[in-house]
Amino acid sequence: MKMTPALAMVGSLLVFWASVLVAIILPAITMTETPSTAWRPWTSAETAGHDLYVKNGCSYCHSLYVRVSDWDLGADRIAERGDYAGQNPAILGTERTGPDLSQDGGEHPDDWHWAHFTNPRYTRPLSLMPSWEFLGWPAVSNLTAYVQSLGSRDADYRVARQQRWKAPAVRAYAGGPDVNVDWLHAQVPAGWLAMPNPYPATEAALQRGQKIYEGFCLNCHGPVGDGQGVAEKYLSPPPLNFTTLKRHLAQGRYVGGLFYYQIMNGITGTAMPYFKHELESEKIWDVSNFMAVRFLGYTDAGTAPRGIEAAYEPAWSNAFQSLAPKGVRP
Amino acid sequence: MTLATQTHGTAKAFLAAGAFWFLAGTVFGLIAAIHLVAPEFFNNVPFLVFGRTRPVHVNTVIFGFTASTLIGCAYYYVPALLRTPLWSERLGWVSWFSWNLTVLSGFFTFPFGFTQGREYAEYLWIFDVSLVVAMLAMIVNFTMTVATRIENVLYVSVWYALGACLWSAANYPIGNVMWHPLTGALPGLLDSVFLWFYGHNLVGMLLTPLSIAVVYYVVPRVARTPLYSHTLSLIGFWTLVSMYAHIGGHHILQAPIPNWLKTISVVDSVAMIVPVFTVLVNVWLTARGHGARLWRDPAARFIMAGTAWYLVTCIQGPLQSLPSIQKVTHFTNWTIGHAHIAVLGFSGMIALGGLWHILPLVTGRPLHSPRLVNLQFALLTFGLAGFFAVLTAAGLIQGEAWHNGETVYRVLPEIAVYMALRAMFGVSILAASAIGLYVAIMSLRPAPGSVPATSCGTSLHPAPNSVPATSCGGTPKSSCTATVPDQEAAP
Ligand code: HEC
Ligand code: HEC
Ligand code: HEM
Ligand code: HEM
Repeated sequence: MKMTPALAMVGSLLVFWASVLVAIILPAITMTETPSTAWRPWTSAETAGHDLYVKNGCSYCHSLYVRVSDWDLGADRIAERGDYAGQNPAILGTERTGPDLSQDGGEHPDDWHWAHFTNPRYTRPLSLMPSWEFLGWPAVSNLTAYVQSLGSRDADYRVARQQRWKAPAVRAYAGGPDVNVDWLHAQVPAGWLAMPNPYPATEAALQRGQKIYEGFCLNCHGPVGDGQGVAEKYLSPPPLNFTTLKRHLAQGRYVGGLFYYQIMNGITGTAMPYFKHELESEKIWDVSNFMAVRFLGYTDAGTAPRGIEAAYEPAWSNAFQSLAPKGVRP
Repeated sequence: MTLATQTHGTAKAFLAAGAFWFLAGTVFGLIAAIHLVAPEFFNNVPFLVFGRTRPVHVNTVIFGFTASTLIGCAYYYVPALLRTPLWSERLGWVSWFSWNLTVLSGFFTFPFGFTQGREYAEYLWIFDVSLVVAMLAMIVNFTMTVATRIENVLYVSVWYALGACLWSAANYPIGNVMWHPLTGALPGLLDSVFLWFYGHNLVGMLLTPLSIAVVYYVVPRVARTPLYSHTLSLIGFWTLVSMYAHIGGHHILQAPIPNWLKTISVVDSVAMIVPVFTVLVNVWLTARGHGARLWRDPAARFIMAGTAWYLVTCIQGPLQSLPSIQKVTHFTNWTIGHAHIAVLGFSGMIALGGLWHILPLVTGRPLHSPRLVNLQFALLTFGLAGFFAVLTAAGLIQGEAWHNGETVYRVLPEIAVYMALRAMFGVSILAASAIGLYVAIMSLRPAPGSVPATSCGTSLHPAPNSVPATSCGGTPKSSCTATVPDQEAAP
C-alpha cells in the first residue's frame, strides 16, 4: 500500500470522523436527559456557587459522582445520569485529593462550611484543601449554598434536618453551660449513657487517642479541650468546652459510652460532625479515654458493668477513677 | 531575508517557545506540588492557589512544552522529508503567534479565576479560536508543502504530522464545545462524553502522532539505516487512528454513561496494544545493532528513552482501562503517575530528542553543549522515574485504602511522604527544564561574527524513501557541523 497524500489525508479523516460518529454523535442523539427523582433546579445563589466551583478549580480535587464501590461521603446514593440534567457544566472530576462532593449537601451545617472555607484546617486539621478566605463574602456564602445543594432533594432533606436541630442547640447554649450539657445529654439514648468505656486507658492507648484528637478534633475543641480552637469564632454553638463536663458526668459517673455515641453520631445542627465513617470502634474508644483522662481527669474505663474481659487486655487498674471530680461518686 | 521569511524561522521559533514553556509550565507544576505538601505555603495568595495554578501547569506543559516543541520539529522535518522549502514561513509565523498566544493566555487568565474549568479545555473561547487558527494555518502550510513537494514518496513521519493536524483541528473545537462560547460546555452528563473524547484525543491524536513522527524521523537518521518495515508503519498508523479515537470513555468508566460506550472504550483500549507494539517493534528493530550509536547521540538517547516510556505507559494504559483494575486506581495519584510518564516520559522526552536533533540542523551549528544535554537527560530520567515510583505507590495506597472502606481524609497522612518526595523529584525536573532552556538559547543565538546560519540541514537535504538518513546527527554528540552533504546555498 502506497501512502499518497490523498490517501493519508482523506483516509485518516474518514476513519477519525467514523470515531466521532460512534463516540460523540451517537451518544449525543441517544443519551436521554430525564431528571432523576432527586433532581431539582438550582437557586441563583447555588448557580453562583457552582460558577465559583468551576472557576476556582475545585474539580481538580473533588469528584461529583459516587460509584458502587465507594464507602466515603455520599456512599448511600449511587450517581444516576439524570442527576446532572441541565447542569452546565457538570464537571465530574478525575481526582479525589478530597472526597466526592456529589452528596455533600446537609452533611454539615452552614457554619461548619464557613469555618472550613475560611481555612479547611480549622475544622479538619490534616486537610490539604486551600483556604478560600480571599474569595470573601458573598463568595463563601454562595459556595456554601452550592455545596449544600449537592444531592438535590436528598440534600434538601438533610439540610432541613440540620436546621431543625440547630435551633434547640443554639437555645441550649444560650442557656449557659449547665443547661447546654443537660440538653446534650438528654439527647443521648439511655443505653449509651450507662455504658463505661470497656477498654483500658493504658499509656499506649492514650497516645493513640491523642493522635486521633490532634488529627480530627484539635482546632475545634482546642489543645486543652476548652473549646477554644481556632474554628471557635465561626461556629454557633461553639465547640464544647469539655472541662464543663466535670460537673455533669452522666448519671454522676459514666463518660465512655456517652463520648462514644456523640463522636460516632455527631451532633446534627451543630458543627460537631459524625465520625462513624472515619474512625473505627477502637479509635473512638481510645480518643474517648484520652479526652476523659486529659480534660476531665477521670475515666470510667474498665469499670462495671463490663462483661467478659477482652482477650488482649493488659493487667491494668484504673488510677484515674480515684481522681474523679468533686461530686462524682466512683 | 527578513525574520518572517527566513528559512526554518517557524521551526526555530516553535522550538524556542517549547523550551521556554517547559520551564514556565514546570514552575507551576512545582507550585502545585508544594501545595499538596504544605497547603498553607502560599496561603490566601489568590493566583497561587492550587485550583488555579494546576491548569496553568497542565495546559502549559501540554500545549506549550510538548506540543510546541513537536510542532517545531514538524515544521522542520515535513519540508525536509519532502525536499522542498516550507510553503510559507509567513503562514508558519501566523500559526506560531496564535498558538503561543493561547498558551500565554493561560498565565493571565487561570490564576485570576478566568477559565472554562473543564480539564484540558480551560482556555477561554477567544483563545480556543486562536489555537484553531494556528492548527488551520498548519494544515494549509503542510498541505501546500506536500502539494509542491519534490520528493514523491511520503515518509511515515509526514503521515503522522498531517494526521495530527487534521484530527486535532476537529477534535479541539468538538471537545471545547466551541459553538457555546460562554461556557464552552454542554449541559448534563453528555458534556463529559465530549470532554473525555477530546481529552483523550488531545494526547492520543495530537501528542502521540507528533511524537511517533519524530521517532520515525530521528532513529533511522542517527542509526544510519533504513526503517525496518513499511508494512508495520502502515499498520501502526491506521490502527492508531481507528482504535485510539473513540476510547475516551475509559476516563469516565465508572460514571453513569451508557454501557455500550464503556464496552467499546474498554475493548479498544486493550486493542491499543496493536498500534503501540507495531510502532515500537518497527523502531526497535530499526535500532537493533545500532544501540551504541543511538545511546551516544544525546538526542537519540532521549528518543529511545521516550520509546521505553511509551511502552510502560501503554502497558499501564490498557490495564487501567479494565474495570476491575480501575476500580482501585481511578481517582488516585496512580493516574497522575500515568499522566507524567505519558506526557513527560513519552511525548516530552521525544520532543526534547527532536529538539536536540533538529536544532543543529536549523542553525547549522553544533549544540551549545552536548554535555549539558546529557545532564538534562540524567536529571529528567531521575526525576521522572522518581515521579512514577512515588505516584504509583501513593495511588495504590489510596486506592486500596478507599476500597477497604477508609475515607479520603484518613488516607491523606498516608500519602504525605509521597507528596513530599514528588516535590523533591520535581526539583530535578525543574533543573532539567532550566538547563534545556539555557542550551536552547545558547544554541540558537547567532554565533558571534558569523553570517546567519544556512549551512546545515537546509530544506533540500536528501530524504530517500524510508531512509531520512544523512550523516547529520549521526556522529557522536550529534555535533551536526558542516557535514551534511548536498548543502544548498542560502536562498
Ligand atoms: C488541593 C485540593 C483541593 C481543592 C482545590 C479543593 N478542595 Fe475541598 N477538600 C480537599 C480535601 C483534601 C478535603 C478533605 C479534608 C477537608 O474536609 O478539608 C476537602 C473537603 C471539602 C469539603 C468538605 C466535605 C465534607 O463534607 O467533609 C467541601 C465542602 C469542599 N472540600 C469543597 C471545596 C470547594 C467548594 C472547593 C473549591 C472552591 C474545594 N473544595 C477545593 C481538597 C481540595
Ligand atoms: C468543627 C468543629 C468540631 C470538630 C472538628 C469536633 N467537634 Fe466535637 N463538638 C463540636 C461542637 C460544636 C459540639 C457541640 C457543642 C454544643 O452543642 O454545645 C461538640 C460536641 C462534642 C462532644 C459532646 C460532649 C457531650 O458531653 O455531649 C464530644 C464528645 C465531642 N464533641 C468530641 C469530639 C471529638 C472526639 C472530635 C474529634 C474526633 C470532635 N469532637 C471534633 C465541634 C467539633
Ligand atoms: C495504550 C494506550 C493508552 C491507554 C489504553 C490509556 C488509558 C488511560 C486511562 C484508562 C486513563 C484514565 C485513568 C483514570 O482516570 O482512572 C488515562 C489517563 C491519562 N492518559 Fe492514558 N492511556 C494510553 C496512552 C496514553 C498516552 C500515549 C498518553 C500521552 C501522550 C496518555 C496520557 C494520559 C493522561 C494525561 C491521562 C490523565 C487524564 C486525566 O485524568 O486528567 N495516555 N489513560
Ligand atoms: C517540577 C516538575 C513537576 C511537578 C512538581 C509536577 C506536579 C504536578 C502536580 C502537583 C499535578 C497535579 C496533580 C494532582 O491533581 O494531584 C500535575 C499534573 C500534571 N502534570 Fe505535572 N509536574 C511537573 C512536571 C510536569 C511535566 C514536565 C509535565 C509534562 C511534560 C507534566 C504533566 C502533567 C500533566 C499532564 C498533569 C495532569 C495529570 C492528570 O490530570 O491526570 N508535569 N503535575
